[in-house]
Order: sequence, then structure tokens, then C-alpha cells
Amino acid sequence: MRSRLFGVVAGAAFAVAAAAVPVMAHHSFAAEFDAKKPVKLRGTVTKMEWINPHSWIHIDVKTPDGKVEQWMVEGGAPNALLRRGWNKNSLLPGTEILVEGFQAKDGAMRANGRDITFPDGKKLFVGSSGTGAPDERPDK
Amino acid sequence: MRTPLTGALAAGLLIAGAVCVSVLRAQVPAPASTTIPKRPAPRTPWGDPDLQGIWSSDEEAGVPFERPLGQTKAKVNGTELEALLEEREHQRADNAATIGGVTGAGPVHWYEIWGRQSARTSLVVDPADGRVPRLIPEAEQRQQRRTRPMGSFSAGPFERPDDFSLYDRCITRGLPAMMFPAIYNNNTRIVQAPGYVAVTYEMIHETRVIPLDGRPFASGRIRGYLGDARARWDDGALVIETRHFSDKTNYRGAGAGLRLVERFRRSHRGLRYEVTVEDPHTFTRSWTAALNLTPGIALFEYACHEGNYAMRNMLSAARAAEAGGRAVK
Repeated sequence: MRSRLFGVVAGAAFAVAAAAVPVMAHHSFAAEFDAKKPVKLRGTVTKMEWINPHSWIHIDVKTPDGKVEQWMVEGGAPNALLRRGWNKNSLLPGTEILVEGFQAKDGAMRANGRDITFPDGKKLFVGSSGTGAPDERPDK
Repeated sequence: MRTPLTGALAAGLLIAGAVCVSVLRAQVPAPASTTIPKRPAPRTPWGDPDLQGIWSSDEEAGVPFERPLGQTKAKVNGTELEALLEEREHQRADNAATIGGVTGAGPVHWYEIWGRQSARTSLVVDPADGRVPRLIPEAEQRQQRRTRPMGSFSAGPFERPDDFSLYDRCITRGLPAMMFPAIYNNNTRIVQAPGYVAVTYEMIHETRVIPLDGRPFASGRIRGYLGDARARWDDGALVIETRHFSDKTNYRGAGAGLRLVERFRRSHRGLRYEVTVEDPHTFTRSWTAALNLTPGIALFEYACHEGNYAMRNMLSAARAAEAGGRAVK
């Protein structure tokens, strides 16, 4: 019984992880970002802002024509990142990363970050801006 | 397989063990009384019950605020509990995947609220059915007139900061909602001084400094997002009564007429928190919700307003939508 239960829960957990479920919310993702505009940004970290309600990662992205675009990527809440093992050295300026996320609805060079991948393939989960899941709603 | 030899050896060891235990017992003086002395509740140097510390509601995460229809028990155990916890995790996974789709991040073991084991079936404890009483008809009409009850989680339109919720705007999650577990930052700090108690909520770092000296409430013409609170002690429990909320607040349909009576008291694992919600202009009867709080580890800063780029970005997104999706500077 227990092993079956564990299997079901573990299976559900895996399914959720695989679906990259949103984690952290202070405000709605949909009011700010466009789920139909996924972006992959390969660039160099210039700054990480450890600010609330969400952290912001600044990266310089080289375009194919040689220009440099300055993107801002929204990450999880600093407290949530800290409790999950991030620290000030997790993403130092100069670090090369690949960010997968979703672009801002207004078309600016801003994105909501989902995953960060380092050149060696290691991944860092960034945390999203939110989901609207019932537990996050203020009226509880 | 057990042989006659091992059986005899086991029996011998049992007898020897029993003899040893009886000899040892004989050497230990019998206790004077079989009752275990009750550990006195901690007190402050000035004699008040001491409730100070950081308290987390994480352990109650996942417990539905209202008891699901069909569930008749306030608490379950055994296989019923296993099934309940399994169902909760499925629901959480389904909700997140349905609402968030592919936009989020991180494996579920990151969630501060994942895998919690509370056996309670609702946070509402009164009425006995675990459900918030119905709104009176006037309050239902009031609720239907609200244009953006969920702030940024609504469909909009968003034209000005006031169109977002107090939570979006980093002002407050509101009372008593700020006590109940959200997806993270579910910590409350209590600090006491003679004549005062201060309660700080990690999300969104509001601090209520509440007099304990019996002074009357301020004039009802003075209204606040967190109302006006007075506290007293009642048999070891801290009782906080709060009135005079701003009409800009909205807790399940109640606003300016809301009156809360909160109780914090020591429990075997931490603190028990109960809040009774009253507003005859909103609810058909008063009702009570409760939480079991356990010792938290740390309360981190959550200076939300200063870096709340989302407000500007969400308004900018709304203007871009009006302009047909073109970038708005």
C-alpha cells in the first residue's frame, strides 16, 4: 500500500516537475508576461538585483548581427531563493548562462525566467512570477 | 526457520532479561506520584505569558480553507489520511499545471508548501461543517459589483495602480488573510514589551504594534488597512480585537464593518491561532478559522514596494494591449 502510494505521489511529483510548474507568486504572470512568447537568451550576467517581491537578473545578450541587447529577467522572490539554497555567489557578474523564459507583454527586453543553464549543462531554477493558484490568492 | 535450539535460547534470554529488569526496578525508588508535573508556560520578565518567537504556518499549508463538500470529519487518520494527502498533492499539481501551464519554474521539492502532513480537513473550525457562512444578499450584490476582486489575477482593465490589489501593490495581504499560509514566506514574528505586543508578518513585512494597556479604541473616523487593534490576556492567551478597517479592504466581502477577534496561545507544538470573523453586514453569522503554528527558522526581509517593478510592467503591458501589442515605452 505504502509503496503504491509513494509511487503515485512520486509519479505526480515527477509529472509536475517535468511540466515546470510555476512556483512563486506575488502578482499574476499573465498580467505582465506573454506565455505565447517563449524566449531563449544566451548571455552574460551583468548584475543580479536581490529585491522584492521578485529578483531580477540582468544579462547582456549578443545578437547574430553583433549588437548587444540588455535584458532583464524576473526570478523568484529573494526569500524563497535563499531558502532553496541560492546565495549571492550563485550568479556572479560575468557568468555565461542560457535563460529560458517568456517575454514581457509590452515587447520590452524583459522576460520571466524559468530555467537557467550553465555552460557545463547544470541547471538553476529561477522561479516564476506567479500562477494564480488558489493558495497564492490574497483572500484566503 | 526457527529451530528448537534457537527457540530455547530465545526463551532463556527472555527469562534472563526479565530477571535483570526486576532487579533493576527493585533498586530504583518508586516515584512519589504517577502524575507528570505540568511544565509551566514561559513568562516574560514582567510576568506576561511569553509568546515571543518566529512562528510558521507551513505545516498547515495544503489544508483547504473550507472543508470540501462530502467530507464530514474535521480530522482524519490512518489510511484515510494517506488518501487525503495523496489527493491534495494531486490537486495541487493539477491546479498549478492548469493555471500556470508552462510558464513557471522549479521542481516541486522547492515548494515550501509541498508535502505537508496536516490531518485537518479545513481551516474553518466554526461552524461545525467547516465552511464560511453564506453572505447576506446585500453583501452578495456588493461582491458582484467589484470589478477586479483578484487584482492582477483578474482580466483587467488595468489603468492605474488602484486597479491592482493591495497585495499586488505591496501594501498588505490583509487581515486575517496574512496569517494563513501562501506559497512562501509563511512566517510571523511576535515581540513583546511591557504594555505592547508587536506582530510582524514576513509577507508583506507589516508590523502591528498593539497596546495591551486597556486603552479605548481610537475614533471610528480613523480607518486603516489593518484596522485599529487592542490586545489583552485571557488565561494565558493573547486576545487581539481589531475594528475600524478601511473601506478599501475586502476580506471575503467584508470591509469597513469587519471585526476580528484573534487568539494566540501556547500549544504542545508551538502556538494555536484562532480568528473569529464578524460582520453582520456581510455574513449571516460569525465564524472562526484556526491554525497550528510551529517554530519557524528565520524571518527574512520582504521590502516589497521598493523593487515592485511589476506594477510598472503590468501597466505597461496593459497599454501595449490597447495599442495592439506594440511596444510601449
